[in-house]
Amino acid sequence: MAVATQGTARNYLQRAPSPSGLADVIEIILDKGIVIDAYVRVSLVGIELLTIDARIVIASVDTYLRFAEATNRLDLYEKGKDLGEFIGDMQEGGASKKTSGAVKGVKRAISGGGDDEERRPARKSSSRRRSTEDA
Amino acid sequence: MTTATSTEQEHDLDLERGCYVYGVVPFGDELVPPGMTGLGEAPVRLVRYDDIAAVVSDVTPDRPLGRATDLVAHSEVLDALAGLTTVVPVHFGSVLADEDSVVQDVLAPGREEFADLLAELEGRVQLNLRATYVEDAVLAEVVAADPQVAALRARTRDLPEDESYGERVRLGELVARALEHKREEDTAVLMDAVTPRVAAWVERGGGGGIDHVVDVALLVDTANLASFEEFLEGLAEAVHERIRLRLVGPVAPYDFVGGAGWA
Repeated sequence: MAVATQGTARNYLQRAPSPSGLADVIEIILDKGIVIDAYVRVSLVGIELLTIDARIVIASVDTYLRFAEATNRLDLYEKGKDLGEFIGDMQEGGASKKTSGAVKGVKRAISGGGDDEERRPARKSSSRRRSTEDA
Repeated sequence: MTTATSTEQEHDLDLERGCYVYGVVPFGDELVPPGMTGLGEAPVRLVRYDDIAAVVSDVTPDRPLGRATDLVAHSEVLDALAGLTTVVPVHFGSVLADEDSVVQDVLAPGREEFADLLAELEGRVQLNLRATYVEDAVLAEVVAADPQVAALRARTRDLPEDESYGERVRLGELVARALEHKREEDTAVLMDAVTPRVAAWVERGGGGGIDHVVDVALLVDTANLASFEEFLEGLAEAVHERIRLRLVGPVAPYDFVGGAGWA
């Protein structure tokens, strides 16, 4: 994670202007795009397996042990804060002027301001199509 | 791992040459930059029908498509076009027999739907935003918030695994549940901040790691791109102690073409 340490660099946002590497590409294009009635439709069996493997969370004993292991590995106790507090901190703390402008926007969005009804429903693009394909 | 979600591999072996379809664009002369190549480094060209066109290149279907270079080529052609015009991406690996078939089987029957989609997508690009936890920070929150977790952690930490198996499973279960709850809360906060600034959004599949928060595709007006990135930079800074944000794009609007749905 990049941390802004000097000058005016504020690179907290990890930025990839285009997909970097095969993993990005697979993630972005896999199972996406309009399905047309093609003569040849290639499936990516090998690649799909890798990706699916990485995506699946199985609520299993193994998963729980993994979580337990991660928790046990922790060295530090840090006092937990919620996201709102962090954003609050940023406003009170030494945030740059530009940043506090942006953060006010976040704050406004978080504190209601009538945004709830504007929240658009997610447009499901792949799930229905996928099930059709598999049928 | 099963192949439950993979599609059938259909190879028409009689086909000696095929027309690989990348996507559909509003027709325009000189839209495709000279020298642009696609799969197998074949030249990319347009196949026109009325006021729309398919972006295609010749492909020899004597070898299975789907190598790394094929995927990258597909993505590069579409992302490059997305920077020049509006494009409706077609699913990777779609090959038709020839140009006539591209017109008759794809463009002509889909003309209205393509035109509607292109109009909807005009002047907009897709950005993919992923939020992940700073793992140690959120796990520390979980330990601090739940005395039961803290107690189980203290007890199992220095015990051999086989002596504490049951307690470890219980600890992991509690942590998993707590993270799921955090994930929902943090996703809501992030999305409430981000979504009023975008034209549309879709939650993507996302990863299953401990650190996963949310993975979304955002459709953003090109005119607002710079200010939107500036906003995300501020958001990333505000949450950086416990959440990392990664932004990829602009890319072609892969996640915003599902509505037409002819499968």
